[in-house]
Amino acid sequence: MSLHCRNSLLAFALVALLAGCNREERNSRGKPLAETAPGMVTPDTILPGNARPSAPDPRAAQYENNAPSISQGQTLFAQMNCSGCHSHGGGGMGPALMDAKWRYGGRMDQIVASIAEGRPNGMPAWRGKLTEQQMWQIAAYVRTLSGQERKDAVSARADEMSNTPPQTQIEREPIESAESGQQ
Amino acid sequence: MTRLAHRLIALPLGFLSACAGNQNAMGGQGLESANFIVLFLVFLAVCAVMYLLVLAGLGIALRRRRDAGQANSVDEDRHEETSARTKVALIVWTGLVTVGLTILTVASFFSDRSNASSTRRSGLALTITGNQWWWNVQYDTSDPSASVRTANEIHLPVNVPVHVTLKSNDVIHSFWVPNLAGKQDLIPGRQTDIELLPRRTGVFHGQCAEFCGVQHTRMALDVIVEPLDDFRRWYAQQLATAPAPTTRLQMAGYRYFVTRECSSCHNVAGSPAGGQIGPDLTHVASRRSIGAGTLPLNRGNLYGWIADPQSHKPGSRMPTIPMEPRDLHSLVAYIETLK
Amino acid sequence: MKRSIATLLAIAVLISLGAFLLRGLGIDTPKPTNELRTANAAHRARAALPRDAAAEDGNWTMPSKDYASTRFSGLTELTPANVSGLNVAFTFSTGTVEGFEAPPLVVGSTMYVVAPWPNNVYALDLAKPGAPVKWTYEPRPAAAAKGVACCGPVNRGAVYSAGRLFLNLLDGHTVAVDAATGKEVWRTKVADIQKGETLTMAPLVAEGKVLVGNSGGEMGVRGWLTALDAGSGRLAWRGYSTGPDKDVLIGPDYRPPYAKDAGHDLGVKSWPPERWKIGGGTVWGWISYDPKLKLIYYGTGNPGPWNAAQRPGANHFTAGVLARDIGSGHVRWYYQSTPHDVFDHDDINENLLVEYPAPNGGRIPALIRPSRNGFFYVHDRRTGKILSADPYAHINAYTGVDLKTGALGLVKAKEPVEGRVVRNICPGPPGAKDWNPSAFSPVTGLVYIPHLNLCMDMGVKNANYIPGTPFVGADVKMYAGPGGNRGVFTAWDPVARRKVFEIKEDLPLWSPALATAGGVVFYGTMDGWFKAIDARNGKLLWRFKTGSGIIGQPISYRGPDGRQYIAVPSGIGGWAGAVVTADIDTRDPTAALGFANATKDLPKRTTRGGMVYVFALPK
Repeated sequence: MSLHCRNSLLAFALVALLAGCNREERNSRGKPLAETAPGMVTPDTILPGNARPSAPDPRAAQYENNAPSISQGQTLFAQMNCSGCHSHGGGGMGPALMDAKWRYGGRMDQIVASIAEGRPNGMPAWRGKLTEQQMWQIAAYVRTLSGQERKDAVSARADEMSNTPPQTQIEREPIESAESGQQ
Repeated sequence: MTRLAHRLIALPLGFLSACAGNQNAMGGQGLESANFIVLFLVFLAVCAVMYLLVLAGLGIALRRRRDAGQANSVDEDRHEETSARTKVALIVWTGLVTVGLTILTVASFFSDRSNASSTRRSGLALTITGNQWWWNVQYDTSDPSASVRTANEIHLPVNVPVHVTLKSNDVIHSFWVPNLAGKQDLIPGRQTDIELLPRRTGVFHGQCAEFCGVQHTRMALDVIVEPLDDFRRWYAQQLATAPAPTTRLQMAGYRYFVTRECSSCHNVAGSPAGGQIGPDLTHVASRRSIGAGTLPLNRGNLYGWIADPQSHKPGSRMPTIPMEPRDLHSLVAYIETLK
Repeated sequence: MKRSIATLLAIAVLISLGAFLLRGLGIDTPKPTNELRTANAAHRARAALPRDAAAEDGNWTMPSKDYASTRFSGLTELTPANVSGLNVAFTFSTGTVEGFEAPPLVVGSTMYVVAPWPNNVYALDLAKPGAPVKWTYEPRPAAAAKGVACCGPVNRGAVYSAGRLFLNLLDGHTVAVDAATGKEVWRTKVADIQKGETLTMAPLVAEGKVLVGNSGGEMGVRGWLTALDAGSGRLAWRGYSTGPDKDVLIGPDYRPPYAKDAGHDLGVKSWPPERWKIGGGTVWGWISYDPKLKLIYYGTGNPGPWNAAQRPGANHFTAGVLARDIGSGHVRWYYQSTPHDVFDHDDINENLLVEYPAPNGGRIPALIRPSRNGFFYVHDRRTGKILSADPYAHINAYTGVDLKTGALGLVKAKEPVEGRVVRNICPGPPGAKDWNPSAFSPVTGLVYIPHLNLCMDMGVKNANYIPGTPFVGADVKMYAGPGGNRGVFTAWDPVARRKVFEIKEDLPLWSPALATAGGVVFYGTMDGWFKAIDARNGKLLWRFKTGSGIIGQPISYRGPDGRQYIAVPSGIGGWAGAVVTADIDTRDPTAALGFANATKDLPKRTTRGGMVYVFALPK
């Protein structure tokens, strides 16, 4: 093979490799210590006295758009009975997760905080019952229910009776700012 | 020359070592595998004989060709002689093939019949559900309150036919205990089954035989075939709920197990921990291995497994839980009481 | 000639074959007669009120009106001739916009309104114009209880007895409130929300005892019925729905009518080991009482989880009817309507106590009930023996009830299997009729049943048990049954064992019924229409569009001015109305345990509300 040919082939391979990097990176146990939940996360609310909202948690990027995390989150969503209250995004005992309404915020760290701390109208507090890594994985999956994540990272197939259209074909819902606590 | 000869003899002996042991398709400790071995040997013998005859015939033909090359003309008499000989040879060969195929068919028929006859006797019923990457084992009884749920280890009484129903919770797995029987797939959405009739006692090793994900290689199964009385004793022990913790360390471990992450997935009968998505741990300390054959069960491995399962079986569903050393001590102390 | 005969014969054969094949598509009720034949009342066999039924006093002191659960008002002012003149007399807004199921109670000149969570109680002075509020009771139950209430934070009513109101709070407490002042007399914790238990049912108060049952069959809860002392609130006895005989309170006087329900420790033996501890059988529905026999009658809820593969066995004592002695709580008899239930067919529906004509003359004290599994049962309430069990709705999941053994036949092809979806199962999980109770009129002898025509697709999978979270293991999608109407109002003759008339409703019927002696029957629809129909033939006489869907019990009372009033709570919610109250996204048809698909159009037809409407004829 000519030098030119080989070089372009190498360059192409490198680019292709890098593009799939984050999507396929499999992190079996958090690095180097296990994961922790985000600290000081607030739902979208008043921050008095020119206070700034906390910077987005860097760990969100590690789990967002990451195919193994979303897939594991999908398994955990059913196994930890999230679907018992939230169905497959439509809601029931708990509110719908596939729409644009987020009571306590729809960012990755806000969702993890809701899972860990629980919420006043009946969302259980899972800190201590799930590892933080599992909560990040579930949060990544919850965001795919409203189409927030890239379509090449989401699971194309549900694990149960077909109900909603496959996630690869869901329109992305905007995230409205959190509503004030309803009754 | 002698050294080469020695090597030639030693080579197959090396292979024979694989024939011993507890994960051995030539073991024949079960009716199905014994039938399979007999059938295999019959096929081997018949086909070997035919093969050698073919080789012999080829050898003769090659030598004849060499001889024929020296004479150019085709002798009229010689031609008739060879054609007659060819006709005889063909008749004999066809006869041999017919006999051979008949032997194979008959052997196959008797082998199938022997396998099928065992299903007519009633015996034990098991349901095994494959998960990534562990086996859920349920002993089905007509009295539902006498059913036993365990994981990754099966005890069977010798000479009792077993009907195993196979299901899967996620992807296709395959149930394979080579010493006892052949393979059978576990297919999600379907129910398959397999019959076992263990004929000799012993400890055998099973394996998942269909690629099912990143830890397919660590999805093993222990099958212990024992006398009926031992089996009954084991079954009665499995039916009992877990004993209450006694020492302070065990009680701390019990509290951690029941209130923290463990009970989200695992079940210990007699305690509030009722998780159904992971292996049942009520009698985990009486098993031979942890993690579906990943590690032999002993105190050190328990520590290692609970502290960081992802380093032993990366990608498995049990997460690495960051815990204080004293929690780890108390958990292991509690787990060891679950005999 | 021969050819034409042959042709006619062939056509006849084909027609009958076709009819036979169509008939085989599930069992249906026999064709209704169009009108009640006005035969001589003396000769016509009819069910009647129990002999010791009290005379009509114009009050409404308990949601079922009386211990026999007839929901029948003896007032006669309103008749088919004048009911079309009904007007709104006054209204009252509770300020709560969740599912409004509790009937207002009326004692003398005070009306008591019980709201869903936060379970406020309002006392209205009916003697003054506009019925102003006399006092308000605000118990402030925990908001977290809403997270473990499967089907809306509803409350099915309070009971008035001896100057006190008794009601259940969603977060597991039973309270007694002084009816004159609204002050709390006692509060007892009976249920634990950390385990997934809540309280939604209306208690029954009799013989100095307050009977309370728990909710939570979808949360891995163990069902029970508790008797508290009405004076102090202290525990008198508790009978569980699963477990050993000493917990279920099965004693030496236990006499089940059928062999399949006989034995010792059935509540343990019919379950895999330890599964009875999270087995369900909750008591969230209606209790009836026979003061002569001193027996209370009630049904138990579904076994848990919905995925029946995780609980082989008959699963006693779930999905059945129990008769307990009110003093000791011991079970006298028990009949399991739906052994090893696979469809969430609870048995908590109302048990009406009537005098039933015996075949040889004379009367049998009977218990009649339209069950969730689609069969209308008639039992002898002394022994539990079934006199008849007929389908009152479209069923294709069951073959029938064997009257000799009491066994219910299940169609194997409709049984859910792990990993696969079974389609077109009728009736669906809310059954042929859910909790909303029917009414009985001794004047016509008919039972007025507001119910459903829903079928489902169901897929089951392994459910995980974590206390305080759902324990279900099923995905369900519901839709209208044959005919396309999702609701039906049936008038059923329990003696003739057939439908007399039926009214098809587009939306599912989730409201209870009210029958009056004047010959008018009332019920409400999920889009807010409150309707009055003729008790004899179902003709619509009057209707009024209230502000929100009606799922609550209408009542009738005599006001301080002597007029007959009709009151109805209006406020959509509950399981069927979750689409409106619970922020459901109907793009997921399995939402709200399957109801989202069946009520996709409901948000366009009604909105949330919480108002009591009171009607009367103008002066």
